[in-house]
Amino acid sequence: MRLELGKILINDVQFGQTTKVENGTLYVNADEIKQLVKADERIKSVEVELARPGESIRITPVKDVIEPRVKLEGGGVFPGVISKVDTVGSGKTNVLKGAAVVTTGRIVGFQEGIIDMTGPGADYTPFSQLQSVVLVMDVQDDIAQHDHEYVLRIAGLKVAEYLGEAGREVTPDEVEVFETLPLLDSVAQYPDLPKVAYVQMLQSQGLLHDTYVYGVDAKKIIPTIIYPTEIMDGAIISGNCVSACDKNTTYHHQNNPVVHDLLAQHGKTLNFVGVIITNENVYLADKIRSSDWTAKLAEYISLDGVIISQEGFGNPDTDLIMNTKKIEQKGIKTVIITDEYAGRDGASQSLADADPLANAVVTGGNANEVIELPKLDKIIGDISVVDRIAGGFDGSLRQDGTILVELQTITGATNELGFNKLSAKTE
Amino acid sequence: MKPIDRIVTNNPAVQTAYQERFPLEFITGGYLDVLIKVRDRVHAGAVILTHPLSGSVKPNETPYKSIVLAQGTKLDWDSLQLIENAITVVRGMLKDDIKRMHDPGFDLDFQTIDLSLLSSAINDKE
Repeated sequence: MRLELGKILINDVQFGQTTKVENGTLYVNADEIKQLVKADERIKSVEVELARPGESIRITPVKDVIEPRVKLEGGGVFPGVISKVDTVGSGKTNVLKGAAVVTTGRIVGFQEGIIDMTGPGADYTPFSQLQSVVLVMDVQDDIAQHDHEYVLRIAGLKVAEYLGEAGREVTPDEVEVFETLPLLDSVAQYPDLPKVAYVQMLQSQGLLHDTYVYGVDAKKIIPTIIYPTEIMDGAIISGNCVSACDKNTTYHHQNNPVVHDLLAQHGKTLNFVGVIITNENVYLADKIRSSDWTAKLAEYISLDGVIISQEGFGNPDTDLIMNTKKIEQKGIKTVIITDEYAGRDGASQSLADADPLANAVVTGGNANEVIELPKLDKIIGDISVVDRIAGGFDGSLRQDGTILVELQTITGATNELGFNKLSAKTE
Repeated sequence: MKPIDRIVTNNPAVQTAYQERFPLEFITGGYLDVLIKVRDRVHAGAVILTHPLSGSVKPNETPYKSIVLAQGTKLDWDSLQLIENAITVVRGMLKDDIKRMHDPGFDLDFQTIDLSLLSSAINDKE
């Protein structure tokens, strides 16, 4: 499967009469966006705001971040959700690189997620670097939480599709090509390199904790194999609203750094043969079945090593350790990517589960670490939730507008795909 | 798979939704009290069917927890290890907690999330 990603570099976003890309600026017609969003009658109100890197803006509570793209060949964007369910991951896709759609709106009272566009908070989230079109949405009063999440999720994806269309006729500034061969061909191509796959765990526990693969709720899949470029091309989207610091937004899936870096090493230090996706469920029997299947698939394709990434904390630690242990027991080396809830002093046990076979760990940082964020000039969304969000506490929001919070409040701060700057090293 | 023997919960929404269908042990207390009751049950031979830690909503945010148990014949060591681990984690997280805001307005939201995670597990099995 071969994918050409054409990057149209976006370095500014402005409102305009027509939605278009010109000389690296994304012009946005806010009225068209509002019309598009309000076509769903469940949405009562929508505001379109712009946020640029360096501006004194705080966005909260962030639901999802999405990269606008257009498929020129080989299916459509967000297959099974926005476009027909045709397989993606091949053909040509144009990307508005440097731009994003950010959705905000209160689904439940304690919801979380802060993106600061400037100041110390901006250093913790990669999304502070994006030219952002922010949708502030509110739904009709009688909408239940399940529908509320769905409505906001779909609105964000639709607007990303709409903005992506502006890149259809634009010549990309750079074109990157990614290719993965069918398994046996890939093995034959680099017979001397270790065969490595990526095991991606998808959060799938229920309301506000879900992920979709070609439109299928991931809790209903059994672990399966997917081409790396399918993930890069929008096959997986996020319905996950909780645990801002370590949830994978749709943007994370589109730009999964594990996929990207393994492809970059393919043919050099390793033979990247594919991705196994698995889920994180509530029932222990489901955890056992899924980790058995993951290990079985890893064995079946004769892997030498895997990288396993987790999503979330607590309950999924059990899935992580089950996957790691069972894959290691097949004689396959593992490295896990996770983050830590080690207490504010960093002294507590980092994960809720452990095993001696899980002996190679990359961390995305300690989510309990406390940081102070300055007052910023403009709030997009609703700041009143800050006292109540995860990682906030009584007195978080001070009278002078500064806030004292745990890192887990910041969207993407301790991301478990490594799409962040924090980590730790030991000798 | 072992049939459901009982649900241990402190969540009124779970009580309302499931008390007609399953034996339900309602705990008047917090997250930790539910875990401790489950540990008692495990020592008496129960097997844990759903994970004692919530999804990504942390024990120091939500006061609500529901756990599904099956009947066993002797002490199930996996269940015991799981519940002991969970109690350690929850105690650790509660220790750090600086008087968290408890807004009764969010109670229903937390109840709904806990109920949803439980039903997505249970409905699947029926």
